[in-house]
Amino acid sequence: MATTNATITINSDITSSPLSISKTMVLKKFQSTDGIEETTGLRTKKFNATTAVEIIANTEGTADKASKVYIRNTGSDSAEFFYVALNDNAAASDSTETIGKLYAGDWMFIPWKATAATTHDIVVAPSTTDEMTLEYMVFQE
Amino acid sequence: MATTTATVNISSTDLQPGNALGISASTTLYQTGTTTGLDLVDYGVGKLTEASAGDALAEALGTADTSNYVYICNTSTDKDQYMVIGIHDTVIGNLGSEEWLFMPWNMGDADAEINIEAEASGSITYEYAIFKSTYTLPAKT
Repeated sequence: MATTNATITINSDITSSPLSISKTMVLKKFQSTDGIEETTGLRTKKFNATTAVEIIANTEGTADKASKVYIRNTGSDSAEFFYVALNDNAAASDSTETIGKLYAGDWMFIPWKATAATTHDIVVAPSTTDEMTLEYMVFQE
Repeated sequence: MATTTATVNISSTDLQPGNALGISASTTLYQTGTTTGLDLVDYGVGKLTEASAGDALAEALGTADTSNYVYICNTSTDKDQYMVIGIHDTVIGNLGSEEWLFMPWNMGDADAEINIEAEASGSITYEYAIFKSTYTLPAKT
């Protein structure tokens, strides 16, 4: 059994009382205290078109379990972003279902149900034809 | 202008034998496509009771297709209790006990609310923070 820790730290002065969040979790199997044992490893991919591209297929996770996905836009141009979606058409608005936009430097870390259907493929669409790079990793049971 | 930073550290010495994992990433949360910091936030603590349907943690009432970021933590220590996290009709994943998520949320359309649901029994206490580009209150009834 492997031990994988993920810690988030958020600091903000938006409010008059500074907001500070710090939380560490151990990545565990679904409804278990055992740590997850599989990963895709960290991947890096370059993009130079605005076409939506599947980066993680639903088959790379274990359906209905406790997979996790980390994605980061490694860019530095604040105007450029990736749409990240759970469908085959990452776009500003989509019925099934755009999650959000990852701007330069932004990262996300989400649980991923990996339902055995293309509706749970993870798809990205760059905002520009300028070269942009993502790094991403799947943790799974 | 407020400054909000979100940092993640993911580490494991034994998930990838012979190749210790050490990811560290930090981002500053900016308003849509700018280098101006987000200055709106909604955060708090809630309790969710197991039910057959989800509840909306946040409705997509702000300006569509903007920069917003969501943090949710399931603070339950019972391994059997998890939260189902989704956007509108699409489930993203299962957030296990003591687990957190951080993701962008573009509020792509009015049907892009963030849904949460408690499983498999009892009540789950959760913490959340939503950093927003725009903040529209629900209409008075």
